[in-house]
Amino acid sequence: MTTPTPTDSQKPGRFEASRAAVQKFGGYLSGMVMPNIGAFIAWGLITALFIPDGWFPNETLAALVDPMIGYLLPLLIGYTGGRLVYDQRGAVVGAIATMGVVVGADVPMFLGAMIIGPLAAFLLKMVDKVLQPRIHAGFEMLYNNFSSGILGGAMAIVGLLGIGPVVQTITEVLGAGVQALIDLSLLPLVSIIVEPAKVLFLNNAINHGVFTPLGTARVDETGQAIEFLIETNPGPGLGILLAVMFFGPKISRATAPGAIVIQFLGGIHEIYFPYILAQPKLILAAIAGGVAGVTTFMVLDAGLVGPPSPGSIIALMAVSPRGGHLPVLAGVFAATAVSFIVASFLLGFGRSERAKEKAQHTQEAK
Amino acid sequence: MSSINGSDIKKVVVACDAGMGSSVLLTSQMSKTLKPYNVTVEHSSVDRIPADADLVLCHSGLASRARANKPGTVVVPFQMFMGDPAFARVEQAIKAGETLAD
Repeated sequence: MTTPTPTDSQKPGRFEASRAAVQKFGGYLSGMVMPNIGAFIAWGLITALFIPDGWFPNETLAALVDPMIGYLLPLLIGYTGGRLVYDQRGAVVGAIATMGVVVGADVPMFLGAMIIGPLAAFLLKMVDKVLQPRIHAGFEMLYNNFSSGILGGAMAIVGLLGIGPVVQTITEVLGAGVQALIDLSLLPLVSIIVEPAKVLFLNNAINHGVFTPLGTARVDETGQAIEFLIETNPGPGLGILLAVMFFGPKISRATAPGAIVIQFLGGIHEIYFPYILAQPKLILAAIAGGVAGVTTFMVLDAGLVGPPSPGSIIALMAVSPRGGHLPVLAGVFAATAVSFIVASFLLGFGRSERAKEKAQHTQEAK
Repeated sequence: MSSINGSDIKKVVVACDAGMGSSVLLTSQMSKTLKPYNVTVEHSSVDRIPADADLVLCHSGLASRARANKPGTVVVPFQMFMGDPAFARVEQAIKAGETLAD
């Protein structure tokens, strides 16, 4: 392992193991959401276009909004979560069980779907393990269909009566928590956790495991959500890549321009992580840029109507609400500027690199 | 410790966290470089690497997950998404039939 971070210098082994475990759990969360991002974007675009204060208010088409967020999106998550645990059979019981948490809830049941979808699939897997070997030849199809049907139906009832109400409370508390952070102007501090976590490849887990569900719920209430902007802001990464392009080590300077295109326009943020992993002090620039960006978003009341995935400036603009493009651009710009300045400072404005190259030149000349 | 000879590699899998972002980017690059040697390149999540993968490429920050997921398959970690020597090393091994180990 050659990815030193400030915390793993003493116990690389244990750090590595816990990082892999956290990544894996996060991978499950994001694995349920990410394959379905297209549906989230479709919902966000339809909402932005056709709700009463959208671009083209249209009552007929706005009828799509509530069923899509209430049923389609949670069912897709529950289905995908079930499939991760137990393939197609798991997917089906996951979707049936999700129906239980969805019905009767008055918040979008993403968290509930993320819990009950995989849980139902896991239970079916256990049941199959015990019963499948005992099934008489010729009765396999009968068993398979009715075990899914009975277990799925039972889980839907458990979801409706047991899990749904609990998760609804948790979802409301989480949403209120983010709101409290906004009210107390503390939301920018979230970047102190988010930016380092991104670089440890928890970017998808944080964004799609946490912010996409929370943000979608807020859009449903207020028409736009700042949650979508916290992890996806390409500004901090762009600032670091620009600083590396001007002041970084020679080898990084050569690759940075290509990386900028891929990161800022293509939205693949992973591309700047190695530059930070190679020089961990640069994480301070990412944090500063993130804080500056979120502060700007908060002050200017910026938000998006759907998850911008991948986090490209093009995606951000595409899901900005009507009249909401400038605040989003301002936050991206602020994040870029601050992260660039801090990163340039941390790189000594290229002084040490220039000195190194000069020394090399004189050596070669000799 | 596992190893594979470059001439036995028929399928390279580039893995990333979700299998949808950076791995797709690298897959399109690697499949171009490896096309002359009849090697297919696919992308996947590090948690769901296809069973028939001969060689796995992933970022060093994800390598332990890839190894846990596919014990016995050579995992080549890289640091940088662009211009990392690991990519050249894999191409060279496939071209010349050299042994790759992890």
